[in-house]
Amino acid sequence: MPKDFWRKGKVAVIGGGSWGTVLAQIVSENCDDVRVWVREEERARTINSQRKNPDYVSELQLNPHIKAYVDLERVFDGGVDGILWVLPSKSTRIEARRIAPILKGTEFLWHATKGIEPGSLKRMSEVLREELPVRRIGVISGPNLATEIARGEPAATVVASSFNEVISAGQDLLNGSKFRVYSSSDVIGIEWAGTLKNILAIASGALDGLGLGWNARAMLISRGLAEMVRFGVAMGGEEGTFLGLAGVGDLLATCSSPLSRNYRVGSGLAKGASLQQVLEELGSTAEGVQTSQVVAAHARDHGIYMPITQAVDSLLAGGVTVRELVEALMARPPMPDRAIQ
Amino acid sequence: MTGNKGSSKDKLVTGSHPAIRFEQVPIVEGSLHKLNEMRASILRTTEANTFADFGTAKLDLLLGEALYAERSRLKREKATIFTASRKKADQALWAQVQSGLLKPGAEVDRQRILRNVIHHYGDEIGGHFDNNVYWFATRSVPWFFSWLLNAASVQRFLPWGMTEALASRLTIQGEVSSLQRLAQKGTILLVPTHQSNIDSVLIGYIIYLMRLPPFAYGAGLNLFSNPMLSFFMSNLGAYTVDRKKNNPIYKQTLKHFSTELLERNIHSIFFPGGGRSRSGAIESRLKLGLLGTALDAQIANLKRGRPNPNVYIVPMVMSYHFVLEAASLIEDYLVEAGKHRFLKTQDESSQFSKVFGFFWKLFSSQTGITVRVGRALDVFGNFVDENGRSIGPNGTTIDPRAWLTSGGELRADRQRDQEYTRELGDSIAERFHRENTVLTSHLVAFSFFETLRGRYPDLDLFRFLRLSESQRTIPRAEFLQHAEQYHERLRGMADRGQLHLSNDLLNRSTEDWVRHGIKHLGLMHEAEVLRTDGVTVWTEDMTLLYYYRNRLAGYGLSRLADSLEKDSARMQAGRERARDFDAQGFLA
Repeated sequence: MPKDFWRKGKVAVIGGGSWGTVLAQIVSENCDDVRVWVREEERARTINSQRKNPDYVSELQLNPHIKAYVDLERVFDGGVDGILWVLPSKSTRIEARRIAPILKGTEFLWHATKGIEPGSLKRMSEVLREELPVRRIGVISGPNLATEIARGEPAATVVASSFNEVISAGQDLLNGSKFRVYSSSDVIGIEWAGTLKNILAIASGALDGLGLGWNARAMLISRGLAEMVRFGVAMGGEEGTFLGLAGVGDLLATCSSPLSRNYRVGSGLAKGASLQQVLEELGSTAEGVQTSQVVAAHARDHGIYMPITQAVDSLLAGGVTVRELVEALMARPPMPDRAIQ
Repeated sequence: MTGNKGSSKDKLVTGSHPAIRFEQVPIVEGSLHKLNEMRASILRTTEANTFADFGTAKLDLLLGEALYAERSRLKREKATIFTASRKKADQALWAQVQSGLLKPGAEVDRQRILRNVIHHYGDEIGGHFDNNVYWFATRSVPWFFSWLLNAASVQRFLPWGMTEALASRLTIQGEVSSLQRLAQKGTILLVPTHQSNIDSVLIGYIIYLMRLPPFAYGAGLNLFSNPMLSFFMSNLGAYTVDRKKNNPIYKQTLKHFSTELLERNIHSIFFPGGGRSRSGAIESRLKLGLLGTALDAQIANLKRGRPNPNVYIVPMVMSYHFVLEAASLIEDYLVEAGKHRFLKTQDESSQFSKVFGFFWKLFSSQTGITVRVGRALDVFGNFVDENGRSIGPNGTTIDPRAWLTSGGELRADRQRDQEYTRELGDSIAERFHRENTVLTSHLVAFSFFETLRGRYPDLDLFRFLRLSESQRTIPRAEFLQHAEQYHERLRGMADRGQLHLSNDLLNRSTEDWVRHGIKHLGLMHEAEVLRTDGVTVWTEDMTLLYYYRNRLAGYGLSRLADSLEKDSARMQAGRERARDFDAQGFLA
């Protein structure tokens, strides 16, 4: 790739939430033409005139290289070279269908969506591949709490793709003095790691809701990681991926951050509220709720041993308390401390 | 190729009586006819490109390793009267290489030795094509078959249609007209499934029936030691592929030769599974090395702005009621599965009487061969429409140039192109399964095997195959019931486009197709694979039964596979990759 290819290139960021906005800011250090697609006219105007996205990352002063549009045609006007996909998993397929006819086929695409398609259990890269006329697709995943990066704190992430050129272009585009980008070719493992950790975030919130300490949380994280490995490997991922940034790294960040929606679902349930009450209070859904149900069912059908995930699933279904579930988990027979027997 | 093309296609696809008159079919001019003129230049380019690949390599090491590998190959290989001269030439070359390598580099130029080796390989690989022989072969093959037919079954002798008889044994279905159109818009790479050495002869003939110009074959070198097959093949545009030569110099020479053919618009055939399917199953793991030359050729063509730059990959699936070499193939497979590796050099297809017998049976019985031409794919595995355009998702059209552009420039990229080729391989394997036509014999073999297996769920493959004769007998009524259930499932799959059913399976009653299947299953083996006395059904040869049963492996039909997979989460690693074996070692 020519040295200043991305500097002179054009990058579209699909999704102007907090992570989308922060990613646009990171990319704008390496690229002079960054277009963010947002849904609301008002938000686009605020971004373009005040260089702020106050509803999501109010403190972040946006780079003048970033432009926001509501109209997809304008985002892709003249063609773009790279696409960062930062939409929630549930709207990914629908929006991809709309965008498909606009693309040229030369674009590289990275998605930063943590989640899967519920019915089909398809990963986001699979969904995007099915809907878009591009093949060079990668994934960005890691312990990346948007607000911390917006404050200028250092962080690291992983870019994975089966195409080396997509990995190195992703590094060129995202690397910066405050953001370090690692590479991986294990797309399956990276995507599943980002999805599965949301289940454990709920569990972590639940433990916290009981007021338990660090021992309990460490037990949850390490045994939960073993479950992630078991499931991820069964889906075709590599064991080692789960020891990296996108695995244990993301898990630690998510399980210790009381800000995450999944965490708040868990702590709300532990305090005796119903799932419906908790979700109403959140005002939005949490990715981990659906993931827990889907993964628990798939694990049951295929004989993958995931006791914590099953416990989270029954907690979400209602009728049992966190305390009862913890007691049941503790009462299981002793077993080896390994992910894969 | 306009006017009457449609009508010929209709006859071909409607099946058993295409009634093509050979004297009326003009030979379509194709680049292969020019192969002889181009041969020298193709080989020159091939050798130059291969040499360039190794320009910076450590030649002493490269040549030394090749020398060692070739020496041990020559030691293992037993020459027949047909291969003796080739072996001698090989030995002479490597003796020369050895003596050269023993002298210092200043005295004997390593590059020169490398050039010699590449030239030697190039000469072996490069087939030649002779218009006169092609003319003769396309006439003599039908003649030969007609003669067989007459001797085998006088009743079916038709004075004007000697050759129609062969065509009537072949049912050609699928995308014939689209293949004919694409052959004029780009270079065709035909990728058939491979079960028998007979395939090569039949494919050559099928191509002729479809009025396509002759194709270049990459045929196994061992086939050329069979005088009868060699006669047809070397004259129908075959070049040689020797899978025993494993060294990088040979592999690169072969790849460059293939790329060169495709670049020059010469339609080609590869068997992407490598050799014949040992297990009897449809190929799911493909050899990607040679397949990648399709993409290499297309990139080269696009960069040079040549007309008709695209290579179209057309899968083709052949379905037989019996496979000549079934017994030795499955034996090989089982020996390998049992981890005692050894390779057979001789099998049934190298015996003239057996090949003769195959065609004798083909004509003396009311049996046939079904061939299905699949939808064409581009070099990435996308479908291609009749105009040669790649079809993307959501009504998009894909410009191959865009997918080959990296950093704003259209160029080759080794890792990217390997990945594209891997995806192409996945698409081909999937198409193979979907374009497969299930015959009555396949379904009776599968039903019987699975019914019997249900009785011994704990046995592993090898113990199961050693069941005694009384143990491998089941009541006919029970067998029919299972056969009907499987038939029902296959119908559903056929409706969903997951496979095709033969007309016999679609139109006959259960009693009737089962009888047909039992009668045709492995028709020519010494032991009858399945027998029935009206009350019970039994098998006389478990391994052959396993071979024919495996034709329906890979579809997730096996009853036990579902329950067994729960034993091991690892087993279903990567949902997109087909599970190969169930927990008991059976091909699932």
